[in-house]
Amino acid sequence: MEDIILQVENISKNFGMTQALKNVNFTIRKGTIHSLLGRNGAGKSTVVNIIAGIYRQNTGSVLLEGKEISSYSVFDRQNMGIKIVPQHASIVPDLTVGENIFLGVWPKKRVFVDWKRLYKDAEEELDRYGLHVDPKKKVGSLNGVDQRKVNIIRAMHGGAKLIILDEPTTALSSREREELFVFVNELKKKGTAFIFISHYLQEVVDLSDDVTVIRDGKSFPGADGEVLNEEKLANLIAGEDVELVCRDPKEHDKERELLLECRNLTGDILKDVNISFYKGEIVGLVGFPGSGARELCRTLFGMEKLTGGEILKGGSRIRVQNPSDAIARGIAYVSYDRHKEGIVGLMSIRENIGMSLFNTKLKNRLGLIDKTKSEQMASGYFEEFHIKANSTEDRLDSLSGGNQQKVVVAKSVSIEPELLILDEPTIGIDIKSREEIIENVNKITEEKNTSVLYLTNDFDELLRTVDRILFFRDGRLLQDVRNQNLSHEDVIQIRDAVGTDAGKRTEEVGRI
Amino acid sequence: MNDRWFVIRRKLLNNIVWILLLIAVVLIGGMEPSFFTPRILGNVLSQATVLGILSFAQAFAIMLGLIDLSLLGVMSFSATMGLLLIERGAPVVVAIPVIFATGALLGAMNGLLIAKLKAVALVETLAVKLTLLGAFLVITEGRAITNMPDSYKWFGQGSIGPVPTLPIALAIVFVVVYVLWNKTPYGRSLYAVGGNENAAHTSGIKVDRVKIIAFTISGLLSGISGFLLSAYMGAVTSTFGNSYDMNNIAAAVIGGVACSGGQGNVLGVLGGVLLLTVIQVGLQILGVSSYYVQMINGLIIFVAVLLDAVRLKTQHS
Repeated sequence: MEDIILQVENISKNFGMTQALKNVNFTIRKGTIHSLLGRNGAGKSTVVNIIAGIYRQNTGSVLLEGKEISSYSVFDRQNMGIKIVPQHASIVPDLTVGENIFLGVWPKKRVFVDWKRLYKDAEEELDRYGLHVDPKKKVGSLNGVDQRKVNIIRAMHGGAKLIILDEPTTALSSREREELFVFVNELKKKGTAFIFISHYLQEVVDLSDDVTVIRDGKSFPGADGEVLNEEKLANLIAGEDVELVCRDPKEHDKERELLLECRNLTGDILKDVNISFYKGEIVGLVGFPGSGARELCRTLFGMEKLTGGEILKGGSRIRVQNPSDAIARGIAYVSYDRHKEGIVGLMSIRENIGMSLFNTKLKNRLGLIDKTKSEQMASGYFEEFHIKANSTEDRLDSLSGGNQQKVVVAKSVSIEPELLILDEPTIGIDIKSREEIIENVNKITEEKNTSVLYLTNDFDELLRTVDRILFFRDGRLLQDVRNQNLSHEDVIQIRDAVGTDAGKRTEEVGRI
Repeated sequence: MNDRWFVIRRKLLNNIVWILLLIAVVLIGGMEPSFFTPRILGNVLSQATVLGILSFAQAFAIMLGLIDLSLLGVMSFSATMGLLLIERGAPVVVAIPVIFATGALLGAMNGLLIAKLKAVALVETLAVKLTLLGAFLVITEGRAITNMPDSYKWFGQGSIGPVPTLPIALAIVFVVVYVLWNKTPYGRSLYAVGGNENAAHTSGIKVDRVKIIAFTISGLLSGISGFLLSAYMGAVTSTFGNSYDMNNIAAAVIGGVACSGGQGNVLGVLGGVLLLTVIQVGLQILGVSSYYVQMINGLIIFVAVLLDAVRLKTQHS
């Protein structure tokens, strides 16, 4: 029993009339990484909140090192060594690294903060955990992964036995992710246990020692002695076989009509990007943050300024200075940040879907919103995207993440775009919703001849979705590769090679 | 999440203004039955008119998650402009549109500064209010403007058949704002911008335009309030409209417009206005010393803020 840090035994939890958890069981061993997997709304966060003491379970018990802790408060549990590192880093960006680590537990000289000691101690902490940044630097000036690390160090400093990482990788590039994993693995070796919550199966398989899947409030062990297997986990999460949608390889090299031509696009990040898009194709975009991949998406949608170059459609130049211009020109965009730039949580599914068309298609002759039309449109997409809700009048913030994202994609599709730009359209959503979205994207390229730009850091998803892949680095488009016999590793290799000399030489050859 | 009790509680909180109104009416009417005479009820509606139109004006700003402190200044300055014209011999039919236009213009200026220059609404509108109230003193040298023809006063004191003009004005403004908020693309865009500005922008809604229009309408409505109040009182003084100053915020918030923006409805605001007016008139007819009135007003705003906080908490739990 000695190597067990936390036991969750037969936990059930009701919220009013709904039973959120039913007899959840799992055990976390010292010095291991234990992943919790499940769709949005499956009950993962409820489990975490019960472990942290934010909710109290109705039945069952939570034992920390063999001791029942159900009656302890959140604060007590923190002192006992259970720490949460939330999804959105809980740091104060305007304070220094040192201050953030010692927030609330400042070393004091009488009533004043002992700055000298604070920075000396901070430096030791940073050294001990291998984060080499100046403790006097403001946290806001660090990159995403270092901010996460500061967060974890803060937890460690308070004497953590169990650290809960709630989707720590969503905002990170793949390189930063790997860096974070190395860091976590180091701490693990020193005996700290982790609960890891993520939607990326691949990283879960790579990182975890144990996996528990939560589905419909019940727990399922992810592996019973066997090696972890992505497909098996996917099926456990969905509760049924999820068939991964694959684009017909015949689509990859079809003859297509020209839709849009970009000439010498230059902006804050973009440098001299020349590229053409063809009707009905799906084009993948790959590149680290700041490489130009996302910037191309946002520039085409008028969210970032062009300082040079031009966009040609049907031979004539078009100006796209803001999203409403873009939408008028048949360009739609789904942002990587659903909460910030996608949904209006207080409004209904119907109004969210119709939001881009309030002033055009949905306006009647009196200048009022045509409610019948708006209802018809919403219920059409409601069916098509298999949105799970009671009705189209449900408020968006009552839906799960996956269903919210379906609404956001439906909104973009509703303008009947000629170019649909999808920026991480499947980030942080469950597998079933993801496949339903990809299927619908596939369908509109075939039925409506819509062109799609598809940016994702999930390269397996990329490879089964797109016809060709554009690789970006330092604001430049460096390679344009047909999706033929490419593997996950090939993509990583090309991505890492572009920009080096080898990459630059292929630049000219790579373009079509 | 789809807990029935949760839904009921949320509904209750969003409509609590009507319950409070009922309690207030029953309590006051119980203590002083004369409250239910047509004269007093008519009085309630007349007093509710200026506060009502101002509260609708404020609700546009609060829908955007902002506060507009300039309303009182805009209201008194616009009325002054019109009345000065009348003093110089302009006809009433010219003076009234000038009052409305002055209000709308001042509102548009607020909107432009807030939307385009990203000025902080609270401070910007405070500056505008102080400047305008000061301008009134400069222009009039502190004297009250009382010179107005009966045709002007009719709008505040007259009646159409048995119905006094003020409640009619309130009803018209209510219907227009109601349709605007609920049925038009502009209204739905206002909700979207208030609910999530970035998402609205990404959906192709012209966010800056929505904001500028909101403040323009807010200014116009303040102008209309100034016109009606000056006609009702027969004067514009240096304390013109003081009693409506903060109550318009309280009415909107008690009526369910969330301070964080994007949430609320016009009917609720009307409820908030009626509640505050019933309490005011009630205190008067119950003979409560005027020393208490300000404190009670403060407490009402306090209740409004608490309600708003509780509502927000219910949503996020």
